[in-house]
Amino acid sequence: MAREERMERSSYKKFFPPKKKFCRFCQRNIKFIDYKNVDILKKYVPDRGKISPRRVTGTCAFHQRKLAMAVKRARLMGMLPYVEN
Amino acid sequence: MRLYETGFLISPTLSEEEAEAIILQMAEVVSQKNGKMIKQEKWGKRRMAYPIKKAGDAYYVFFHYEGGPEIPQELGRRFRQMDTILRYLTLNKETQANVRKKKKAEKRSKVKEPAAEEETAESLSAKGQSPAPAEKKREEE
Repeated sequence: MAREERMERSSYKKFFPPKKKFCRFCQRNIKFIDYKNVDILKKYVPDRGKISPRRVTGTCAFHQRKLAMAVKRARLMGMLPYVEN
Repeated sequence: MRLYETGFLISPTLSEEEAEAIILQMAEVVSQKNGKMIKQEKWGKRRMAYPIKKAGDAYYVFFHYEGGPEIPQELGRRFRQMDTILRYLTLNKETQANVRKKKKAEKRSKVKEPAAEEETAESLSAKGQSPAPAEKKREEE
């Protein structure tokens, strides 16, 4: 049984390979993420108000650190929520 | 001299004119302390993501300025005294942007300095040569 399942999974991957993710900040060569452009930050903070992880968005480690910093600053200034309303 | 960025939220209970007066006061503090105002951003009244001090929205103002460390200190002292300022945040922009760059630049400059000098010398000589023949041609004509 177990073997069959594994086979299914691999075949599924073969026909629908996951889309390759990439860091959108590296692509545009951005070195500093400003907490003031909320529109960009909002893409990385879904309705729940949590910062989405790297494995979901594909952001690189360097930019994820900067992004988290910017989101936290924006939260302090009341531009992004700490918790969902 | 350092580059600073200070953002602050003014309470919505004030009218727009009163808010303007506060902004002018703060701008004066910067100029008094020999600071140089580079840019002022005013977003106007804006809805906040969550209420602060029971206020639903606030006037957003951002100052970009250059000067000594006593300016953000003084601004912060004044903000804390006023009840009409909901929040403020001061960032030192240079340390954020340049710490990594400076280290890299130092390394690069050590390696690349001689090469860069040669390049400039070559380009200069090339420039010196190219206009001269053009002038000669004109004279001939």
